[in-house]
Amino acid sequence: MTRQRTLIAVAAFALCMLVPLFVHQDYQLNVLFRLFLFAALSLAWNLVGGYAGQLSLGQAAFFGCGAYGLVLFNEKLGVPIPIAFALGVVIAVGAAFLIGRVAFRLRGPYFALSTIAFAEVLRISAKNLTSITGGDVGVQAPALFGSDPSRWFYWSAVLLTAAAFAITVWIARSRFGYWLQAIREDEDTALACGIDAAGTKLRALMISAALSAIGGGLYASLFYFIVPDQVLGLDISNQIAIAGMLGGAGTLTGPIVGAVLLESANELFKNLFHEAHLLIYGVLIVLVVLFLPEGIVGTLGRLWRRRTQRA
Amino acid sequence: MTALLEVEHVSKRFGGLRAVNDVSFALTEGEVLFIVGPNGAGKTTLFNLITGFLPPDEGTIRFAGKSLAGSPPHVAARLGIGRTFQIVKPLRNLTVLENVMLGAFLRTRHTHEAATRAREVLAFLQMEAVADLPAHGLPLATLKRLEIARALATRPKLILLDEVVAGLPTSEALALAALLLRLPEWGVSAVAGVEHVMQVVMKVAQRVVVLDRGALIAEGIPSDVVRRPAVIEAYLGAKYKQVTG
Repeated sequence: MTRQRTLIAVAAFALCMLVPLFVHQDYQLNVLFRLFLFAALSLAWNLVGGYAGQLSLGQAAFFGCGAYGLVLFNEKLGVPIPIAFALGVVIAVGAAFLIGRVAFRLRGPYFALSTIAFAEVLRISAKNLTSITGGDVGVQAPALFGSDPSRWFYWSAVLLTAAAFAITVWIARSRFGYWLQAIREDEDTALACGIDAAGTKLRALMISAALSAIGGGLYASLFYFIVPDQVLGLDISNQIAIAGMLGGAGTLTGPIVGAVLLESANELFKNLFHEAHLLIYGVLIVLVVLFLPEGIVGTLGRLWRRRTQRA
Repeated sequence: MTALLEVEHVSKRFGGLRAVNDVSFALTEGEVLFIVGPNGAGKTTLFNLITGFLPPDEGTIRFAGKSLAGSPPHVAARLGIGRTFQIVKPLRNLTVLENVMLGAFLRTRHTHEAATRAREVLAFLQMEAVADLPAHGLPLATLKRLEIARALATRPKLILLDEVVAGLPTSEALALAALLLRLPEWGVSAVAGVEHVMQVVMKVAQRVVVLDRGALIAEGIPSDVVRRPAVIEAYLGAKYKQVTG
């Protein structure tokens, strides 16, 4: 990144951190929290789904590990909140290691399907292990912030997004990022370049899982009560992946753009059309896949390069 | 003269087809060996066995004294075996420079060092003009050179060239052949090629190995091997034996 772009990124971050000075209503802050939370989750997805080109449709597995890790270690075992939070992240990374070891043996749609399967196994297990998770009745989550929680949750989500963005920038410019892209473009060529494709993909998934689990912990605490369908459901996985694809998989800012658009649209349509927002959501996905396969940022970037090349 | 690559009694079957059947040969340092043979003779399969893309059913493959059999492709690359693909496999959405940098990243973790190395290799292969273009949409001749550039950037001791001049116009093929003769300048101590274009083979190869239906049927210096009846029969069929002999 050039110095100019770094300045823009820092300025944008500062502006986002200042928002609570002007927005005071809890509801509005919570909507903005969701916006940034999904931006961070999509950035995390983008490392695997975008840069490495491995379509993960089971990110809820890691999100849910973070949520249930915090809740269960704290509520059931009495582990202090910060340690319980960290343990949730560790468990998500462990889950990523196990899932990746198995799923990365498969290529293309088979990989995507297996990620769905793993997330579903966790969700159904959580629904049925009622003595531990409370099943569909749910379990109460600890409060991370004592006073003025809506502001602190908002700030946490902005920080998480900034961290995920910084990690993406760092990876995109490093050898590791080039390795991921080589694997996406042609795995045989990557192998011929001496790249341990399986190990590289696994590392990306573990980083992605850690970021997702932090998001899961924040989400659980904000909503105060979690049930399996909510934090381990396909809805979460799909929203994360769709935001990334809408904005542009494998681009730096695409997932942020996608998450902001998708979550804003969700919020607007939810009030306007009630349940029909899911329909609009579906139509949107079809349109993006058909007409914007590179996503918004990817397409704009290509048009921009073409213009500058001609000039 | 020590053997850099030793292939001993290697076989590979695909169902009922013996793609490679009990093949043995060795490659010494400083040598340029070409593997020739009709389509389907098992040449590419042999390369895939050496580079770990396929495990052999039988036999051993040693590189610089180390056994390779069963080790994955990235290990072979790390040990110093570079390869090109017959059906070119560029990283389509990356630039030519980035494609070659990915080869260079095998020996350095620093992006600027990889870029420097990649530019040197591209200069050698006379590809500087296309360095910043995306790899998709480039003509085949350029993509064939890109395969060599990427392999060369990994600093291989042995480079396996799978039909790098096939499909190119003769002038282009001979120009590339001239560059292949200069590979030792880049620390490449042995070259093994698969090639159909005999003009190039005769010019570049010090020794040839002839495969037919998976088996090694002749081995020796190029001008000698092409006169042998078994080789002529494999290429042209038995009835041409007397005419050319």
